Amino acid sequence: MIPSQSANETNIKLPFSFIFLSIISILGAQALLLLHGDSIVNGQFRIPGIWSAAHLFILGWALMVAMGAMYQLVPVAFLTPIWSEKFGFIQLAVTAIGTFSFAHFLFYNPQKALIPGIITMIGILMFLFQMLMTLRKQAKPNILTLYVGTALLCLLATIFLGVTMLTSMKTGIASSHYLAIFKSHLLLGTTGWFTLLIFGFSYKMVPMFSLSHGFTMKPANYVYPVYVIGLLTAIVSFFIESNTLLTIALLLMFIGFTLFMYHISLIIKKKLKKKLDRPFTFALISIISGGVIHLAAFLSSLFGVFNQTAGPLLFMYLIFWIAFSIIGYLYKIVPFLWWTAKYSKEIGKKEVPALKDMIDERLALPVFVFMILGMAGVGLSLFISSTAVFFPSQILFTLACILFCAAILKIITK
Amino acid sequence: MELKDKVLENLKRVLDPELGINVVDLGLIYGIDFPEEETVHITMTLTTPGCPLHDSISSGVKYSLEELEEFKNVDVDIVWEPAWSPERMTPEGLRQLGR
Repeated sequence: MIPSQSANETNIKLPFSFIFLSIISILGAQALLLLHGDSIVNGQFRIPGIWSAAHLFILGWALMVAMGAMYQLVPVAFLTPIWSEKFGFIQLAVTAIGTFSFAHFLFYNPQKALIPGIITMIGILMFLFQMLMTLRKQAKPNILTLYVGTALLCLLATIFLGVTMLTSMKTGIASSHYLAIFKSHLLLGTTGWFTLLIFGFSYKMVPMFSLSHGFTMKPANYVYPVYVIGLLTAIVSFFIESNTLLTIALLLMFIGFTLFMYHISLIIKKKLKKKLDRPFTFALISIISGGVIHLAAFLSSLFGVFNQTAGPLLFMYLIFWIAFSIIGYLYKIVPFLWWTAKYSKEIGKKEVPALKDMIDERLALPVFVFMILGMAGVGLSLFISSTAVFFPSQILFTLACILFCAAILKIITK
Repeated sequence: MELKDKVLENLKRVLDPELGINVVDLGLIYGIDFPEEETVHITMTLTTPGCPLHDSISSGVKYSLEELEEFKNVDVDIVWEPAWSPERMTPEGLRQLGR
């Protein structure tokens, strides 16, 4: 029998602090989107209010959640303790100061956003350094290490390109490649960082939450190269301005994503749990959404209308695939964090609640339905340019976000 | 009641909080040994390597046995080989899983 390595739980305050700050960010981002409804509907995405909302949503919410989740999941999934918790708390402070001041300056004075941008970058670089130091200690790297490691590299590249853009705005350097850098920044930040990260952790969490056993991991060896080659090809196509190459790249990414969906379906077929819980099912549905959006991106490029559809598709990708995956998994991760903090020393001594008792799953259904309806409405309003559809839909989505945040915060009363 | 049965009885108080099934019915307990007087050695696994509940469940096993006056030392070894499989579950565990 092979003994395990000792387990390595992280101080609960670290992931929780990230998640708490992320709650403030998502509510702030939704309020900003609501205030700039007219501009969004008219396709004016590149204005200070939207920049601020987008960065608050992506850096303040999605990235903070991802960081918090990684501080918790990396040690347990890779059987390796976090390199330095103290460094983690410093990184939290730097990232929070950077992100919130960055969103502030993007809104009020984008020309002065360079320094907050650099502070944010330092915070993210500290996170990357922390993860690098942690992952290099892993005794046996595996395919998940490759997914998560590549995701971290993409995050690094995203930040580098983001700062290049800010420098370019201020000094004019690389201005002839500004659009290609901007597109690469968006692509690497969404499909490179978030998608590969969700892929990697899904391979850990899907079998765990469905209690699947006896499934093959072979398709993961094909998902990675196909998707990553597609991603790199897309970046090349931006710089050489080739629509044909972009179409090929989007096809490869669609195939890679479809292989991932197929692989997840194989894992789910081997589930032992008879009934999957709602938040987890929601996260699984978001995978299908991601696949559909990848298909739409490929078809748009094939028929020469990608420039018109890219904005709405990116918006839907962020919400229906990335945000909904994160929300679905958060419903599972946060109760676990709080349960560990409160009950891990009580288990075996007295009766303790189950994880499902930590959060009201009945409330999850209306939250998810409101989110889907709200975002479907927002997506429709972008395609038909209707403020009459945008505002009620965005209000519905904001309400769902408030309900979601309240449910997450309520866990700490259990 | 035999000592081993007493141990099993106490271990049944340790539930996997995600599944709500105790570690015995889940088939996580591979071995119960008494290498010396007042010592119990538990060899067990988890449903998956890298389970986030690793520390909690192994501590729970330890706590549940420390309550028995027969033991002064409780050792818990978590192993990954042989890997856990559903065939190790008891009929009661499978029933609770809805199968």
